Amino acid sequence: MSATTMPRAARPAAGERSGGPTFGRVVAAEWTKLTSLRSPWWTALVTVVVAGAISYMSATASSVDPGFEPTHDLSTGLMLAQLGPLVLGVLYGAGEFRTGAFRTTFTLVPRRWPVLAAQAVVLTAFTLVLGVVTVAVCVAGVVPAAASRDMPLRLTEGETPGVMLGMVVLLLGMALLGLAFGALLRRTVPALVTALVVLVFLPVTLMMMSDPGTDANGMALPHSVTPAGAISVFTPGTGITLLTTSASSEGMPGTPDVGPVGGGLVVGAWVVLLLVVAGVRLRARDAR
Amino acid sequence: MIEVEALTKRYGSTTAVDGLTFTARPGTVTGFLGPNGAGKSTTMRVVVGLERPTSGSTRVDGRRYADLPAPLHAVGVMLDARSVHPGRTAYKHLLAMAQTHGIGKARVNEVIAQTGLEPAARRRAGTFSLGMGQRLGIAGALLGDPQTLILDEPVNGLDPDGVLWVRRLVRELAAEGRTVLLSSHLMHELALCADRVVIIGRGRLLADATVQDIVERTERAGAVRVRTTEPEALARELLATGAQVTPAEGGALQVRGASVDEVGTAARRCGATVLELATESGTLEEAYLQLTGDAVEYRTADTRGGAR
Repeated sequence: MSATTMPRAARPAAGERSGGPTFGRVVAAEWTKLTSLRSPWWTALVTVVVAGAISYMSATASSVDPGFEPTHDLSTGLMLAQLGPLVLGVLYGAGEFRTGAFRTTFTLVPRRWPVLAAQAVVLTAFTLVLGVVTVAVCVAGVVPAAASRDMPLRLTEGETPGVMLGMVVLLLGMALLGLAFGALLRRTVPALVTALVVLVFLPVTLMMMSDPGTDANGMALPHSVTPAGAISVFTPGTGITLLTTSASSEGMPGTPDVGPVGGGLVVGAWVVLLLVVAGVRLRARDAR
Repeated sequence: MIEVEALTKRYGSTTAVDGLTFTARPGTVTGFLGPNGAGKSTTMRVVVGLERPTSGSTRVDGRRYADLPAPLHAVGVMLDARSVHPGRTAYKHLLAMAQTHGIGKARVNEVIAQTGLEPAARRRAGTFSLGMGQRLGIAGALLGDPQTLILDEPVNGLDPDGVLWVRRLVRELAAEGRTVLLSSHLMHELALCADRVVIIGRGRLLADATVQDIVERTERAGAVRVRTTEPEALARELLATGAQVTPAEGGALQVRGASVDEVGTAARRCGATVLELATESGTLEEAYLQLTGDAVEYRTADTRGGAR
């Protein structure tokens, strides 16, 4: 038996050959892991198709209005399509725990948090590409409606570039919030339900609660901030909603007008906070 | 080298591992034996840093696992088959593992060939049989060419070819001077491939010795089995010489305190015709059953015959 094996001294010492898990290597490994599953590609495909189809239908429907402006229909598809990156993030964040693959991952990277950081980097790269493709498909979706009215599509004028940037950031925000919920709750369905409640149900509820309503004559009250509205701007769901509003709009009734940039900052802060909590828990808890 | 020192792991009020101390040394296959729930897997998970000990410590090559600069090169780990994402192909799973340590694709293909995974390498791990899953786990453990291997139930679910292959592989790895810690509930399997055996029950150490030592400690070891036409006469004769005699299955007698020669001579003295006469040797399985304290339950004649 020993005749068939090489003497140990003939081999280079293992540790010297390639070293340990640097952050760059963990990112490369996570990229392989994300792209070698089918679910990211399916959710990406569904996101693009849904966004394109809805913006096409929405633009076609409103093209008969006298005040039709094609660029206003660009982001309508995201109302539904934003769920794609959310699902993608949740599946990616919870997947390791749901399947037990974290055992392999954490024995390779015992410090653990670099794995979560690398997942955020990889998901950002994947979703940025997905976001750009989605925006391009949404633009293509409104082209027929614009053409039917012989209207030019002014993508580089006014606030349209900002809105398109906001669309990409929205999809990225949803993916990263999904990742954070998945990493925190570790099971796909509870994470997805929680994310939907926080990101979709909560902003609608707060929006209704924060509306100051109308005066006795049925006229809208002058813009004033209600308590519910003040809370609302600090929630991730409202932040997401604000991302595709134009910078010059007054904001939603009863809420402080923080604009798309403010919404983006709120979303970013939530992403960082939730990922840090997930990372701290990774270090502190047993991985069974 | 794996050192486990006074390791205790509790989950709430349950104690999974209770003051366990043992060392797995280089050049040795150390078998890790115990019934389900004895704390084998828990101990292994603590050693590779997935769980932290309630008290005590574990070290690999003198370091805490978390302090190893390149874990994949130091320790090859195969825990249960559920450590792989079922949606990923075997090749991509191993490639992602390799990438964390900057190991190239050539080495990935090498371990795939070494473990006989080529036909299944491009299939998703979720479609694998238990045996293929075990081969994938072993491939991952070999990836970093580590000095220490920790294999949890590696022969579980393998076909006879696979069992032989694992047996030869761990022997070779130990012959190369590596440390191999291998758990199994298949006691005869450990008897065939382990040099030392660490037996635990309810989280406590029951035995830590060579396979030979443990087998010799069984109560059957050193006894003489004799079957004769006149068992009662022979028993009386032997008792008179100071030997201890107990009935064994098949109408035979088990004799202690007398050699084969002495039993044969005693048979001639009382005119009994000897039909069968031999020394008995224990098995690791018997030693294990006696050590785990459930031995009483298994000491009935028929179970014992079946356990041989």
